[in-house]
Amino acid sequence: MEDRLICNNQFNIGHICTRQQCEQGRGDKVAMRWISPAMERTDYTFSDLDAESSRFANVLQALGYAAGDVFFTFLPKMPEQFFAFLGALKLRVVAGTLFSNFGEEALLDRLGDSQARGVITKKSFVKKIANVRDRLPGLRHIIVVDIDEHQSGDVLSYRQLMRDASSDFTAPLTTPDTPSVLHYTSGSTGKPKGVQHVHRSVLHQNQTAREVLCLAEDEIYWCTADQGWVTGTSYGIIGPWSLGVTQVHFGGGYNAEHWFTLLEQEQVTIWYTAPTALRMLLREDPALFGRFDLARLKHIFSVGEPLNPEVIHWSRRTLGREIYDTWFQTETGGIMISNRPGLEVRPGSMGKPVTGIEAAIIADDGSTMPDKEQGNLCAKPGWPSMFVTYLNNDEVYRQKFRGGYYFSGDTAYRDADGYFWFLGRSDDVINTAGHLISPFEIESALLEIPEVAESGVIGAPDDLLFEKVVAFVTLHSQFSYSRELELKIRLHVTNKLSSIATPQEIVFTDVIPKNKSGKIMRRVLKARYLGTDAGDISTLEI
Amino acid sequence: MDTMETLNGIFREVFDDPSIILKRETTADDIDEWDSLSHINLVIAVETKFNIRFALGELQTLKNVGEMVDLIEKKIRK
Repeated sequence: MEDRLICNNQFNIGHICTRQQCEQGRGDKVAMRWISPAMERTDYTFSDLDAESSRFANVLQALGYAAGDVFFTFLPKMPEQFFAFLGALKLRVVAGTLFSNFGEEALLDRLGDSQARGVITKKSFVKKIANVRDRLPGLRHIIVVDIDEHQSGDVLSYRQLMRDASSDFTAPLTTPDTPSVLHYTSGSTGKPKGVQHVHRSVLHQNQTAREVLCLAEDEIYWCTADQGWVTGTSYGIIGPWSLGVTQVHFGGGYNAEHWFTLLEQEQVTIWYTAPTALRMLLREDPALFGRFDLARLKHIFSVGEPLNPEVIHWSRRTLGREIYDTWFQTETGGIMISNRPGLEVRPGSMGKPVTGIEAAIIADDGSTMPDKEQGNLCAKPGWPSMFVTYLNNDEVYRQKFRGGYYFSGDTAYRDADGYFWFLGRSDDVINTAGHLISPFEIESALLEIPEVAESGVIGAPDDLLFEKVVAFVTLHSQFSYSRELELKIRLHVTNKLSSIATPQEIVFTDVIPKNKSGKIMRRVLKARYLGTDAGDISTLEI
Repeated sequence: MDTMETLNGIFREVFDDPSIILKRETTADDIDEWDSLSHINLVIAVETKFNIRFALGELQTLKNVGEMVDLIEKKIRK
């Protein structure tokens, strides 16, 4: 069979990434080279991927799941996560992914808003879900990967379920408009919003994996992103496997020695990682890199936050490789603007729009900004991986589109040669290590601590993380600062939200600046922290 | 209570997991929640509970929990 992406109008991502690859002659080809945290290797062919995901589709079907139901993975990177994700998609169940470090409040927001029917997780995470279970009436099943037998009618053993399930499942014909992947993203106000994608997205993810990341039949590809985030699904699952490419997936965390051992031993040819990781590598002893033979490595790509020119120069000097920065968002579902082989890299620039994307810098009044002038980074709607709504929040979705453009929330400018240059956010959302964090969520979590009277949270520049979370708190009069209280605050935010939302710095202060209507003036907090001019403070109440 | 036992209690509190049982060979890869950001919580907790201070980068060279215990005991003795 020829290598067409869409055959017989079948847009099902789960099918395209597994069964279709087998039908196109890749059944025995390694789809996933799994490297455990202990550096042990297990290979899964496309036939294995098809069989295991089909088994999981049958598991969900037997449990009563149908098209449109929502099912989440809440796992660290591990093979079961991929089988469950693809299996859910095969059944046309909406596949959501949750970052494995989420705390109970973060889980409640996402599982609750989406009215998820089920979640797959591991034993040590069950407690977090159990703590909020009584507020999740729609949650029917917790499938646990590391227990041998079912614990109750709704806490089920993955192994037991899979033992009894057939490995044969044919995905029903799936239209391009069928809901597929669900990721939650943070805004500057309110709860996180569910960004809904549809199966059509595979068109753009496949195209950009091919044209930007240069993925082709013989490449060995490693994407370090966690599957809890859009990069981990769009380019750690869908893009590469829709092309039949072998992927390395590593279950361990950042470790320069392990990472370079992997690049060398697994003969990785294309590597997609993040600026924070690259900046951590930059801090390592340069002698480390000389010990590894990276002759097979062709290209390095980066995504998440702007890549500082220093890192690009370091890579040229130390690794002898260019790093290509790419830009996209949860909402865009795929790469929109990028540096890429064949395009001259201008260090610090986002690059140029990819094929089919019309990007523009638009003023608040809707007019197009001239070159070199700052404005809202926008894109003409209509690209295939564009989100279709914010779940249960269509009004906010519609607000993202004005005058025929999608407003990304980022600010940038375009130079005379068509390169885009990122400048910042147009709202208060914090980008720390590539993760967007809502200050509102952190402020709310802080206020749950009995000692805390008021809180205000900002993002401040950071050499490693791009931005760090800085929390200002005032205490009730009967309390005072102690190291124990600081620890208590940190642990509360970590356990309620996640480690990435935990303030890097906590400033104990007497007052949080607010305007006359009681809104926290984060702009003033930021100016105070940075020692810069706060601008217009005529509305400042305190 | 010996250092390992106290440290075990700290790990359970910091990573909100009462099932954690530390061994000298335990590393960050063995505990799901232990990443570079939650590591900061761990450092503050250890410093607070043992009333010691770590120098910048001092913990980065440690290979496992056993080496952390040794470092803590060395600092307590000082």
